[in-house]
Amino acid sequence: MLRLERWTDPLTESNCYLLGEGGYGAVIDPNDPKGPLERLEELGWEVEWILLTHEHCDHMAGLEALRRRWPGAQVVCSAACNEGIQSRRQNMSLMMEVYLSFRGKPGVSYAPFVCRPAEVAYDLRWETVWRGHRLTAQALPGHTPGSACIGLDGERVFTGDYLIPGEEVILRLPGGDEGDYRRSARPFLAGLPLGMAICPGHGAPYTLTEKERSEHGL
Amino acid sequence: MTNLEKYDKLFFDAFKVKAVELPSLKYQGIALWDSLGHMDLIGAMEETFKISISTIDVLDFSSYEKGKEILAKYGVEL
Repeated sequence: MLRLERWTDPLTESNCYLLGEGGYGAVIDPNDPKGPLERLEELGWEVEWILLTHEHCDHMAGLEALRRRWPGAQVVCSAACNEGIQSRRQNMSLMMEVYLSFRGKPGVSYAPFVCRPAEVAYDLRWETVWRGHRLTAQALPGHTPGSACIGLDGERVFTGDYLIPGEEVILRLPGGDEGDYRRSARPFLAGLPLGMAICPGHGAPYTLTEKERSEHGL
Repeated sequence: MTNLEKYDKLFFDAFKVKAVELPSLKYQGIALWDSLGHMDLIGAMEETFKISISTIDVLDFSSYEKGKEILAKYGVEL
């Protein structure tokens, strides 16, 4: 039976989701070098897949730590995300100290970094069956060029920095594009059925209702 | 294009302002120059002038005029 856990980084308040099935694991957005790794060690799962919702550092700062621990794990992200994780500017790690200051956390030391290329970089869509579960990924630029949503068994979607509770989608960070959002991400999000389990990149998971649709202008 | 023209263009593009507004332009003085706009502006500035501005200087970049002083520290003469 599938097990799902959420690990939230206290610094950036981003979510990492850990999926476990039969002693094997899949990780969505490894947001910190220590937290998810320590929890995965406690759980004793062997990580097979690491999936990214987008290239921002607060969603993949722990990617290389997981790769070192599980060198056979396959990293999956959109092609644009794959470019972004290899750039200190595009992954925002170069600007993270400033961002944290603006978020009320001044004086934090945050070293810029890059990641190695992903093993799987898809242009529009990717899917696989993992331990009996259907994992899908759909490229949805807007928040960033490399943004995507990740689906699980058609009943749950990991939305990254889309559909964050109580927050409008941010399209004005470097690389963000309102036109892309309106052309691709927004129609996809508007098409999500009511009752879908939403696992956002920040904030608590929830079930999609008309209220959330309305709040997000969908 | 001179460095000053490049500098001004960054503000025109980021904040949709006119030349006459530049001398008095300040961080949070207009809606678009908020924290998100600031990071976008600085990112574009670093790419344009091929420099990397320190966190302290990014946070100290409080106006159009102050930005000129900061860029001078990085060897960008306007």
